[in-house]
Amino acid sequence: MNSAENNLVSAAKIDASCRVPLLALFGGAALWLVVGLLLAVLASLTFHAPEMFAHCPFATYGHLAPAANDLLVYGFAIPAGLGVLLWIFARLSQAELVLPLIPVVAANLWHLGVFIGLATILCGGSSGFTWLEFPRAAAMLLGVSFVLIAFSAVATFGQRKARELYPAHWFLLAALLWFPWIYSTANLFLVTTWPVRGVTQAIINWWFADNLIFVWLALVGVGVAFYFLPKIAGRPLHSRFYALFAFWTLILFGTWIGIPQGAPVPAWLPTTNAFASLLLVIPLIAIAVIVFKTVWGAPTVCKGGPFCYLRFGMTAFILSGLMLIASACPEHARTVEFTWFGQAQTQLQILGFFAIVIFGAIYEILPRLLDGGLPFPKFVRVQHWFFMLGTLLLVGSLAFAGVKQGRAAYDPAAAIMGLRIATMGWTFFLFGSLLFAVNIFVMTIRWKLALAKTVIAYIKSPLETSEVKP
Amino acid sequence: MSEEAKASSGNAEPTATRSPAPMWIIVVTLALLFLGFVFFDKHSGWFDAKIYAPYSSPEQLEAFQPKSGAAAAAAQGKKVYEAVCGICHGVDGLGKPGQAPPLAGSEWVITKGINRLAHIPLAGVSGTLTVEGKEWNLNMAAMGAALSDADLAAVLTYMRTAWGNKVGEVTADDVKKVRDAMGGHAQPLTGDQLKTMPE
Repeated sequence: MNSAENNLVSAAKIDASCRVPLLALFGGAALWLVVGLLLAVLASLTFHAPEMFAHCPFATYGHLAPAANDLLVYGFAIPAGLGVLLWIFARLSQAELVLPLIPVVAANLWHLGVFIGLATILCGGSSGFTWLEFPRAAAMLLGVSFVLIAFSAVATFGQRKARELYPAHWFLLAALLWFPWIYSTANLFLVTTWPVRGVTQAIINWWFADNLIFVWLALVGVGVAFYFLPKIAGRPLHSRFYALFAFWTLILFGTWIGIPQGAPVPAWLPTTNAFASLLLVIPLIAIAVIVFKTVWGAPTVCKGGPFCYLRFGMTAFILSGLMLIASACPEHARTVEFTWFGQAQTQLQILGFFAIVIFGAIYEILPRLLDGGLPFPKFVRVQHWFFMLGTLLLVGSLAFAGVKQGRAAYDPAAAIMGLRIATMGWTFFLFGSLLFAVNIFVMTIRWKLALAKTVIAYIKSPLETSEVKP
Repeated sequence: MSEEAKASSGNAEPTATRSPAPMWIIVVTLALLFLGFVFFDKHSGWFDAKIYAPYSSPEQLEAFQPKSGAAAAAAQGKKVYEAVCGICHGVDGLGKPGQAPPLAGSEWVITKGINRLAHIPLAGVSGTLTVEGKEWNLNMAAMGAALSDADLAAVLTYMRTAWGNKVGEVTADDVKKVRDAMGGHAQPLTGDQLKTMPE
């Protein structure tokens, strides 16, 4: 019996079992990414001409900016990440996706929740808490959908053939537990009829923002990179124990960060934040060494393909972590805190790191999901350039604007040049995301047409008749 | 499966090597933990909900609190003593050889009443004066004559309660009585003159 051949057959079967849920998750994610980036460009345009949308209440900066940010994280990052996670779990388990209908239903519920949230924010019904602007109905839909998808993922995990876990498992399983924990806690304390009072609100909001943007995105992004980097490089991950060390230090020190140094809270909170930020250097070093030792010297040509995406994304992750540490450093925080520098770090984490790593993974997965591959394979390389330039322009200009603003004692005019350059960065991201959306929508339409053709052919085909011998 | 998927990687699942994490990163972690705890110890106020940056301990906060009652008088007495008396008698009250006699444990300070003691800063001293068995031959100007009754009372209280001295408090009224009794007398007193006065 040929075991390699067996594996190959089952791999194709596994991919087929993931097809519908993944297309549901990725399709919605692509749509929200384009809409979110469009809103971000519009929001950024108000820095060029503040009166542009002045007559239009739902298009003011205060509506557009949070809507854009929420679409990037809840609309794009989380469903795209969950789709990649489902595929990795099925592949690592060497088993077909369990109950594939559940993630399909959950993906649609999720996107419905995002739609309700978006509509509420634009109509002025935002809760006012950063990253928790969605109303209760949308938050509940998101929570339920996440748990449903996690259920399917864990059931698939339970089918695994090998008992020992692969390092990517730890990161992704932790992410499955992390989000329900932080999202339910933050919503129950803040977005209810009786929210907690006083400064505790701000503390919970900072805690949630860090755990969502830094910890959750890092868990999924690094987990995905630890799966795909060795797979593409054709070499084993270096090494299991190093990754274990990185995993525990990341979740141990990453979760206490977020309280700004100048926050009007008892001194132990910012001090604890600075302490944890200092120690965050450790997982960053460990992850950098793991990535470097795994891919360095591997005979892989990147050519703007998935490997390029993953490499760039992991570099962005290390940079984003270092920016986070810099903004918690007690001496220098005074310059950059409460400026655009924080926005620069957030966007580097969401777009420069997470989105690019996830695109790398999606471009590895997509050609396997459907016969015929990507409709426009050349777009992958072009999108890579758009995203790289977008990251450099957006993050560079916002960080520059933040430092300048801090040096000028929070003079708002100091940042204006940086903010105007940032519009270009947003536009590059928008172009890049359009290429992704075109690829995935054309692919889905082609698949649906082929499906329809098969069905029609089946209906039209003459009924089988059995000859009855007289 | 398409061509480009085959080209970029195979279908084999990734594996991980079993080489251990190196010792240096554990050493770096421990070093950073040590630094972090030192920083925490210095700045956190150990989870005290009343302490906000830039302060880091309850003692610091206490020092900046406005005082009232006996604590306020003690703080004022110390302040005036250090500005007026401490230059010669020393902030530790031990005096300076050849310059000023000690106040800590001095029989001129630890007295039942304050009549004799209050005369010294109000009128000044000239000539010989015996303190704890040692003879001093010096001149002291009327350093306390310009102080208000309350300030002088605070200084005397401070002298009589600091550096191991443990005698009662002096009120502004006590000082006022002595000052009124002196009338306009402004000549420095000798040790013998002081000795004849009631305590």
